[in-house]
Amino acid sequence: MANGHISSVFDRELEAVQAHIMRMGGLVETSILDAAKSLETRDEELAEEVRRRDLLIDELEIQINEEAARLIALRAPVAVDLRTALSVMKISGNLERIGDFSKNMAKRTFVLAQMNHIPDAYADIRRMAQMVELMLKDALDAYIRRDLALAHDVRVRDAEVDQMYNAMFRQFLTFMMEDPRNITGCMHLHFIAKNTERMGDHVTSIADQVIYLITGEMPADDRPKGDRTAFMTSEKEG
Amino acid sequence: MNDMRMTERKVGTRDTKISGENVDVYYGSTHAIKGVNVNIEDKAVTAFIGPSGCGKSTFLRCLNRMNDTIDSCRVEGKITIDGNDIYDKRVDPVQLRAMVGMVFQKPNPFPKSIYDNVAYGPRIHGLAQSKDDLDEIVEKSLRRGAIWNEVKDRLHSPGTGLSGGQQQRLCIARAVATEPEVLLMDEPCSALDPIATAQVEELIDELRESFSVVIVTHSMQQAARVSQKTAFFHLGEMVEFGETGEIFNNPRDPRTESYITGRIG
Repeated sequence: MANGHISSVFDRELEAVQAHIMRMGGLVETSILDAAKSLETRDEELAEEVRRRDLLIDELEIQINEEAARLIALRAPVAVDLRTALSVMKISGNLERIGDFSKNMAKRTFVLAQMNHIPDAYADIRRMAQMVELMLKDALDAYIRRDLALAHDVRVRDAEVDQMYNAMFRQFLTFMMEDPRNITGCMHLHFIAKNTERMGDHVTSIADQVIYLITGEMPADDRPKGDRTAFMTSEKEG
Repeated sequence: MNDMRMTERKVGTRDTKISGENVDVYYGSTHAIKGVNVNIEDKAVTAFIGPSGCGKSTFLRCLNRMNDTIDSCRVEGKITIDGNDIYDKRVDPVQLRAMVGMVFQKPNPFPKSIYDNVAYGPRIHGLAQSKDDLDEIVEKSLRRGAIWNEVKDRLHSPGTGLSGGQQQRLCIARAVATEPEVLLMDEPCSALDPIATAQVEELIDELRESFSVVIVTHSMQQAARVSQKTAFFHLGEMVEFGETGEIFNNPRDPRTESYITGRIG
């Protein structure tokens, strides 16, 4: 909507809370990439930075929710304004969860640095993290530009993340079968891969909120889904 | 969207009570209402919202032919209540107004006792056969106006001595005393404090069990709180009419959205 409110203070309040979402989103994007990089390069200093940044992300979530509650209490927003207030609360929750998963990934840098090297796994995780980071960037761009097509695009791309996770799941099973000394490392790496896949789900949920904000309706649950690991066994068990 | 309040109070017949077809209203050369088509439900509250001068009060006044009293005013099109054309030559406006009650912005009790305020309508329309009958009508109406307990011990003191909120509920009791089928309210709470407003709003919700209520209000929050259907008027046109939850959640017309969110339309 091109027109501003008659009350310009209301406009500024809505802009401020959305600016906080963008700031939070920026921090979370950096954390995803840093966490994957710290894992690959065994950079414990960078991992520590991800953990410190998560405190800031958590604080921003609380602040955004307080601002949204205040908007609802004082402005009694309706229609698109109400959806804005509701969407910032949900999106900040999604961002906080993605931040947590990144922190968890970074935490595992310390223990994985002591483990057997698992070939290709770190590069795969980095690629998956980059894919999720790009989806998040697009979801936030779609949010700020109110870009419906881009939001739909993000939802569809989650299937690629799921497929990467499937491939890694299979690969980890193989490594563990080959050599039991790989088990501890693979368990950690599997959690990381699973958490990254969950990040993709949270990004998808942000894209859903963008669609709700623009259209007033939640999208139908018809996007392609690719996580098949709930049905997977190793060949020897099968 | 399902309005959960509909199920809460088991009313809402979805029957059309009042119907307007291509209604145009002119004040002299001014075109105040432009081709309005609307079906207003029985046993439900319909709110008219819109900026000043949008025609919402004018349209409300067409529904009981209050505009007849303005010489320069001309109404075209068809307005029916229960299928009967209210602008038909055989319709007596006085009888019509007994069937279509009205409550105004400022409480306007007659300078008479509380009892006589309520008894006035039933008396002139000959609704009571005896003194006992009349007493019963007055008590029932004051109870419906949710003011009986406050005035039952001083029925013969002047209505003008009540507080603003009480006066407005007295006017509502007066309006329902003639057993109307439709109740029109033109900003009934704009002169009341928040407590009195809440009491009147609660009363409106109770009244819709028996009447088709149409309310004009400048408070969009009030429209959202009390009505099941909302109509948005702008520059004499009825821009959007729909279920209140839909209008306030996800209006279809950008003009409605601009208005309810407080943007310059």
